Amino acid sequence: MEDAMGIAVLQVGIPLALLLLGYFVGGAVERRHYASIQERELRWRSLPAVNFRTVPGGWIVDDATLVLGNVVISVDYFKRFLAGLRMLFGGRVKVYESLMDRARREALVRLKVETVERGYHALVNVRMETSQLASGRGGSGVAGIEVLAYGTALKLRTPPT
Amino acid sequence: MHSFGVPSWRDHDLTFDPSLPTEGINVSRVHPLREALILVFGVIGVTVATVASIGFVVDWVAPSIPPKYEVYLFSDWFEAEEPAAAPKPRAEALRAVLDRVSVHWPDSEYRFRVQIWDQAEPNALALPGGTIAVTEGLLDAVTSENELAFVLGHELGHFHNRDHLRGLGRGVGMSLVLFAVGIGGGGGAAQLAAIAGQLTQRGFDRDQESAADEFGLGLVAAEYGHTAGASDLFEHLRATSDASALASYLSTHPLHGDRVIRLEAVARAAGWPLTGERSALGSKLEAPSDPSSETEPAADPVSTE
Amino acid sequence: MILSNIETIPGKNITRFYGVVSGSTVRAKNVGRDIAASLKNLVGGELKGYTELLNEAREEALHRMTQQAESLGANAIVNVRFSTSSVAQGAAELFAYGTAVQVE
Ligand SMILES: [Zn+2]
Repeated sequence: MEDAMGIAVLQVGIPLALLLLGYFVGGAVERRHYASIQERELRWRSLPAVNFRTVPGGWIVDDATLVLGNVVISVDYFKRFLAGLRMLFGGRVKVYESLMDRARREALVRLKVETVERGYHALVNVRMETSQLASGRGGSGVAGIEVLAYGTALKLRTPPT
Repeated sequence: MHSFGVPSWRDHDLTFDPSLPTEGINVSRVHPLREALILVFGVIGVTVATVASIGFVVDWVAPSIPPKYEVYLFSDWFEAEEPAAAPKPRAEALRAVLDRVSVHWPDSEYRFRVQIWDQAEPNALALPGGTIAVTEGLLDAVTSENELAFVLGHELGHFHNRDHLRGLGRGVGMSLVLFAVGIGGGGGAAQLAAIAGQLTQRGFDRDQESAADEFGLGLVAAEYGHTAGASDLFEHLRATSDASALASYLSTHPLHGDRVIRLEAVARAAGWPLTGERSALGSKLEAPSDPSSETEPAADPVSTE
Repeated sequence: MILSNIETIPGKNITRFYGVVSGSTVRAKNVGRDIAASLKNLVGGELKGYTELLNEAREEALHRMTQQAESLGANAIVNVRFSTSSVAQGAAELFAYGTAVQVE
């Protein structure tokens, strides 16, 4: 009887501990990431980034180059568990929305940082690409999501103010 | 590079506005714990409802399957597994005890067979088709014929109530549910559904065990004129230091409250004497006098009422 | 809000531009629909359940993108692009993005 109890405790206890870890630590990681994204978005917001190819008329372009920004992020155990349950019923997977939001904004902000660091002033024709790095076993869990942001960086004669 | 429309913004003085959009538009603002609560209860609810309804359907269908058809269907299922390790005399003696109790269920349509499985954990199983499997460990653990007779009577009770078929049907149903949950929701959801499903099943199992106990006790009382010794096995298993031995038997025959007390209550209600002389096992059935035999019960077998 | 998937709004002048705005949502299919779809898969043809599901989700992504543009004070989004990607087995992200502008 004690053996059966022990097995039951293991069966329930380990996932429960992982869920708590995911909820508290994963939640803290996400809040910190958001704070960092917001801070950098604010810092680099004066860099124009558009997804059309036309160069505004007033700009005199001296140089152009392709720049990339990418990020792979993963979701915590708690969110993966909730998403797993959600797959049964279908509908909006709320817990993955913040994952995608973070990944996309992080990739975009890295693209901007890369642009600035290489001495360019604006981005045109920004594109985004998402891919799933599937986990080895079963595939139902996510190992990570990659977002790649890329665009053409422009060096302007008179940088926009 | 050309743009599409003629009055392009190329011709104008264009202002750049570095504002950032409002935070949080792309994220649903729902507390994750609220979402967790809804989903967990949803999965539990769906699993319990599905497993329970499969259980009821199976309970309704199983008794209407004629035993003859069942015997025909499963006749060669457990034949091949006959282990050579079992000494023939022991199987014959076991067979004799089974005949002694099964004679009190005269309208049975089964042709019962016994098998001895070479396992140290004490256990007994009712297999589809009318085969009763008993482990070596169980034969080593019992100390009187009455004790063994009740174990066999209990298994006959499972045949009488068609529990083995119900168990089979529910097992298949449960696997289907877990399969669907597994594909749809993955590991976490499957685990949750497995626990919820098992707890639901336990409700069915308990009722079955009680009914099988009553049937078995009736056979024992009819054969020996009293019910002494019927609950000895539980006492023995409880007294052994080996917890896995008890767990093994309980995993296939879950304990409902205090089974010993319940058996006594059933006997009292039916007017069967609780005490009487226990019949000896006979040399062919007794545990080999091998000192390394570890399943030897530690308790005095005649200590109970 | 005017949306286009070309670089301008024909007949209008762009006077101000913001940055890239985006809208996204993640949706999962459910087991019931999945079983129905796997049966349909045997004979081929439209999986109506999934058409609906993705359509509804894409509407939502567009709506969220529009909300972002509104919060900036824009009145048009040019060069709108869609992309759909798998986030986990059975879940897809519907994503729309474009450049928020002001036209007159
Ligand atoms: Zn039983």
